[in-house]
Amino acid sequence: MTLEVPLTDANPAALKETSNAVLSNNSDSSTAPASSSDVVIETRGLGKIYRDFWGRKKVHALKSLDIEVRKGEIFGLLGPNGSGKSTTIKLVLGLLFPTSGRAFVFGKEAAEVTKNERIGYLPEESYLYKFLNAEETLDFYGRLFDMPASVRRERTEQLIQMVGLQRARRRQLKEYSKGMTRRIGLAQALINEPDLLVLDEPTTGLDPIGSREMKDLILRLRDQGKTILMCSHQLADVEDVCDRIAILHQGELKELGRVDSLLKVQDVTEVHATGLSDAAKDEIRAVIAKHGGTLLQLDNPTTTMEDLFLDIVRESEARPGRRSGS
Amino acid sequence: MRLEPNQFWSLSEWLFREGSLLYGAALVITMAAFGFFVCYVVAMVRQGPGEGFFSIAKVIYDLFRTDLPKTSLSRIWAIAKLAFLEAIRRKVLAVIGIFIVGILFAGWFLDKSADDPAKLYISFVLTATNYLILLLGLFLSAFSIPADIKNRTIYTIVTKPVRPTEIVLGRVVGFSLIGSVVLAVLGLLSYVFVVRGLNHSHEVATIGSDGRNGVTDVAGAHSHNFRLNEDGKGVTDESKGHQHTVTATKVNGETVFKVGPPIGNLSARVPVYGSLTYTDRNGVVGEGLNVGYMSEYRKFIAGGSLSSAIWNFENVNESDFPDGLEIEMNIEAFRTYKGDIVTPVRGTLILRSPDETVESERVSFLVKESLDRKVIPLKLSGFRLNKPEKLELFKDLVVDGRMQIIIRCEDSQQYLGMAAADLALRAGEKSFAWNFFKGYVSIWLQMVIVICFGVMYSTFLSGPVAMVATLASLVLGFFGANIDTFFNSQYNGGGPVEAVVRILTQKGTMIDLDLGNQTLEQTIRTIDYGLMSGVSTLKSAVPDFGRLGTSDFIAYGVDLFDGLLARHLLIALGYFIMTTIIGYFFLKTREMAA
Ligand SMILES: Nc1ncnc2c1ncn2[C@@H]1O[C@H](COP(=O)(O)OP(=O)(O)OP(=O)(O)O)[C@@H](O)[C@H]1O
Ligand SMILES: [Mg+2]
Repeated sequence: MTLEVPLTDANPAALKETSNAVLSNNSDSSTAPASSSDVVIETRGLGKIYRDFWGRKKVHALKSLDIEVRKGEIFGLLGPNGSGKSTTIKLVLGLLFPTSGRAFVFGKEAAEVTKNERIGYLPEESYLYKFLNAEETLDFYGRLFDMPASVRRERTEQLIQMVGLQRARRRQLKEYSKGMTRRIGLAQALINEPDLLVLDEPTTGLDPIGSREMKDLILRLRDQGKTILMCSHQLADVEDVCDRIAILHQGELKELGRVDSLLKVQDVTEVHATGLSDAAKDEIRAVIAKHGGTLLQLDNPTTTMEDLFLDIVRESEARPGRRSGS
Repeated sequence: MRLEPNQFWSLSEWLFREGSLLYGAALVITMAAFGFFVCYVVAMVRQGPGEGFFSIAKVIYDLFRTDLPKTSLSRIWAIAKLAFLEAIRRKVLAVIGIFIVGILFAGWFLDKSADDPAKLYISFVLTATNYLILLLGLFLSAFSIPADIKNRTIYTIVTKPVRPTEIVLGRVVGFSLIGSVVLAVLGLLSYVFVVRGLNHSHEVATIGSDGRNGVTDVAGAHSHNFRLNEDGKGVTDESKGHQHTVTATKVNGETVFKVGPPIGNLSARVPVYGSLTYTDRNGVVGEGLNVGYMSEYRKFIAGGSLSSAIWNFENVNESDFPDGLEIEMNIEAFRTYKGDIVTPVRGTLILRSPDETVESERVSFLVKESLDRKVIPLKLSGFRLNKPEKLELFKDLVVDGRMQIIIRCEDSQQYLGMAAADLALRAGEKSFAWNFFKGYVSIWLQMVIVICFGVMYSTFLSGPVAMVATLASLVLGFFGANIDTFFNSQYNGGGPVEAVVRILTQKGTMIDLDLGNQTLEQTIRTIDYGLMSGVSTLKSAVPDFGRLGTSDFIAYGVDLFDGLLARHLLIALGYFIMTTIIGYFFLKTREMAA
């Protein structure tokens, strides 16, 4: 697909600074305190217990979650299967009612309908009407926003181009492949040019190229000033696109912070260099030895996101409860 | 056709005489309160009594503050269109195919030799359409929202700025639309079926030596006698509810007879009804007699006495009766003296002015016990203050459109029975096609009510359960009138528990329930009373479908008066509002992702 979002008013403030900082070991303050008007999503002690028909407790899916998602950032919810990611998203959208605590979107209660004017939501699976074709689908959702016909037609055209479904635009959705369904689902979520995009596992079902394009699109939307809340267990995705993440495990918040600082291990220094002679390398080894350090590795680093994630999950399983310092 | 007196009231009479407006408002308020209550219970279980109350208050606040004012026609239309498309893709148009097969078979077994084949044909198509359409409405409406929740397509709907009112209204509109399309097609097919099924042609079979009197051949299991006038034109006698014109023309010296198409079998007579009072043997206004029938539809007057039935008419307009006052009556005779059952019972009919000072001469008639017509000429002889006088009908007897008709029974020991609708003035005729159309509008209203109920139930029940609940409401609506008989002292056999006990102990319904234990019997009766009261309360919340049916009007060739249709429209509107409110509350307080 060709994800060409017109970069109209790129917000320079929101532009992400280049990640993978070279030779950096200073722990800069991870997040600047946001003014309250900047907060797009806020949860306060948000909890959810699923009950059965008789009101008996089945699952404690979410336990007292406190997060803030600020304007213009990509916030990732990370966690193993069944950790409460989708539950959090549904609570934020008002598809579920909290058992305890509250969730606010744009300063409004999550159950408020009016907040939906500014939200786009891509569900876990694309729950769309299978008997409609791509054009009818987008037209239908456009009508739900009370958009005038000319605007609907224009948006539909634009979005079909954007997600690359030009050739399948008149085919019923029931004939679509998984990836095509995902694309039309995304187009549907963008029909109203939302300020907040909520994406539940945006890359599942997409091939590597599609997945890359999806991530580029997410970044580009963020650059246009949109706020994005996404969840995923594709660590690479989260690492690539998210500014901040929250790691959930068994409904509890385990870790919260900027991706770059979370991935930074404070007392480990990474050195990446090219064009060094063997002599120069020896010299560096000597310098490290002179300062009482031990050289750990001097080649390509591994995906530390995976390490961080596995580490947290393992620790959480060994010692249940809230991780100190998060 | 059985009409209760209140059924031919005009709309304003109905609204203001029986307090139906108040009743309807009370019903909507009660049902809305009931909706609030159920939601409160749900919220209480979920959040505890205090929080629950707070959240339900918020729901009410939201409804009037934002959700109703912000409800958008464009969104309702979008959802309606979707529901319409969904129904089409679910192949509901197959119903039309089923109907076609149905009427093709019916063409074989509908008996053309019946007394009134038109009635048979019309009743058949209307009843078949009615049931088919109500079933269609039931299936469409009960399953759709549950299917949305099951497929989770509702996630992408409720995360858009869509209000619960719009989801409910959109569904109702969408399904009503598809129902209307199907109904329109069935209506057209039915019309063609009736008209073509009843159409037939005769030839002249024999003609008398005078060349005037003749008999047609047998077609459609009947033949007609006819008599031509000097011009060679004539009308046959009435058989199977219709007549034909016959014309004789001379072509090349030979007489050729031509018999026209059937006339009069597809009619829409416009009746003017009056209100009925009875007087007893001494002429004192009373209740009318009951001759011991189970049904009290007709009341009886005693023969050979002053006992009479008096109809008071209010809308007798001269312009409606250019050729005399045509009276249609359907009087029943009850014989206590059965020596001679061949001779008909005799009755008399008198027209009287509303101030009771002027009356016509008696018109004697023999009780036909089926539809009988009498035409009273516009000039007639009668009495003013008991003095004989020549009268003009619309000058002397009708005052401001008001007039009385009195019927007495001449034979002592015999009785005549009548209900208000058994005597009517025939004020001209309207188009049968138009009447047929109105019959379909009436079915349409029933369909909309069923759809409203189906959609309402489907906002909080799963598909099959919602369907059963709607079906139960329908059945309760059709047969609910029977429940009232339980509360009448005449009802034998008791309620459900007593009935079971009677079956187990093999006791008929007419003997005492003697279990040898007073407390036990009392307990059974109390439980039954409680149960039946519950059912009776529920019944008042569902529409009386038995009453909403109007197919008899069309089948009997009586114009379905607009007042009745307007009344049904109002009833449908009432249920529409009620179900929308309840549906809104359930959708609003429901967790879509749970
Ligand atoms: N409707 C439901 N009824 C009962 N339990 C539920 C329901 N939905 C989710 N759960 C439970 O709540 C917990 C959290 O589920 P959730 O869907 O939020 O997980 P997730 O983090 O999105 O997982 P995944 O990565 O597999 O999508 C799980 O234990 C799940 O079984
Ligand atoms: Mg999930």
